[in-house]
Amino acid sequence: MQRAPELLSPALSRFDPLPRILFFADFDGGLNGYTALIGNYEGSLDSLLPEYRDLRPPMLSNLSMWDTGSAGGLDGTYALKLATRPQAGSLAVAVKRLTWRRPGRIQFEAYFTFKPEATELQLSNTDVRAVGFGLDLQDGDRRTGARRVMPHLRYLNALGGQMVERWQFKRAPEPMHEIGTTGKTRSHFHLAPTGWEDVPDGHQQLCYNEIATKQNWHYVRFGFDLDAMAFTAFQCNDRTFDPSGIAPMMLGAMPNLWCMLNPFMWVETDLDKRAFLYVDSVLLSAE
Amino acid sequence: MRQSHTAVIERNVWWEGAFATEPYEAAWASEALFFVRTLESRGPEGGMTARVQISPDGMVWCDEGTRMTLPAAPGLDFCRVRHFGGWLRLCGELPPESSLRVIVYLVLKA
Repeated sequence: MQRAPELLSPALSRFDPLPRILFFADFDGGLNGYTALIGNYEGSLDSLLPEYRDLRPPMLSNLSMWDTGSAGGLDGTYALKLATRPQAGSLAVAVKRLTWRRPGRIQFEAYFTFKPEATELQLSNTDVRAVGFGLDLQDGDRRTGARRVMPHLRYLNALGGQMVERWQFKRAPEPMHEIGTTGKTRSHFHLAPTGWEDVPDGHQQLCYNEIATKQNWHYVRFGFDLDAMAFTAFQCNDRTFDPSGIAPMMLGAMPNLWCMLNPFMWVETDLDKRAFLYVDSVLLSAE
Repeated sequence: MRQSHTAVIERNVWWEGAFATEPYEAAWASEALFFVRTLESRGPEGGMTARVQISPDGMVWCDEGTRMTLPAAPGLDFCRVRHFGGWLRLCGELPPESSLRVIVYLVLKA
């Protein structure tokens, strides 16, 4: 395959980006603008929707294990780490916030791995409920019938102690709530456990690797068209999925989110044990 | 330029009795500050302290030796830590009948 010269570096050549790289976040160099997610509030933090009050923040990890020491990242020493609380259903979320210039195709790629906290000398492969990747988007302010659009993809690893190992998407919006009293602030908890649908042919068994302290890095890629507001591609490791079978969450445009382009990722635990998502690097590109 | 990062590791939570912050990985940093901002306090205000703990694996913890006083509301206090390895947390036990609503910041620098 012919590659552009700038993509021949070891750090970039493992990606398959569209021609223009919008950002390359290699977490050996810090969190690169990925930060904690909080819901909207007005007047008091008590006005946050309950689900938004304790989404756990990202950190930098060298993947140190109690039995084997540091594993490091896919390259270098550090990866972004999301860690839930040890409470079933707890979520940790990282988001990066930018805006787009042209309503064309974009593509998200990442190398990731997930594991439960190694508190038991057991297989523990049903302990992580899900990991996911999404975008929070909105049309430009001149567009007629402008939309806020949220493509969500999650790998439902397990639920209620049973293996699921299935990719899912979510198009059903969650209820929008008024926050505070001014009428200016609203909030919806889009990562709620309701409304998820199976990606067609989306059952995929990933390499778990036997115990809680061994991590194998996985590749994920999805493309999205900012004009049509539709998925254009979805791949994880050796599997590609038909993008026509998946759809984003669609809402009416909101007052101050024009041209928003926010990639986010998350992890959810299935039981009272911490679940970890590690991300070695993320690349967002555009046509 | 030195890398730095501020993590909000507790936000608007009530502490009463025994408490411990979630483990936070900081192997890249050489110095850290814990800030505790008290938004609201109830009950007796004496003897409210927290101590820094470190861990090789994020699961088994020992005292690092640094302690800090937890302020009554409204208040802000801090402690400094260096040479802490990979994981940090703040833990303690409030006296009976005392409770604090806090925001806890971990401020890291390479």
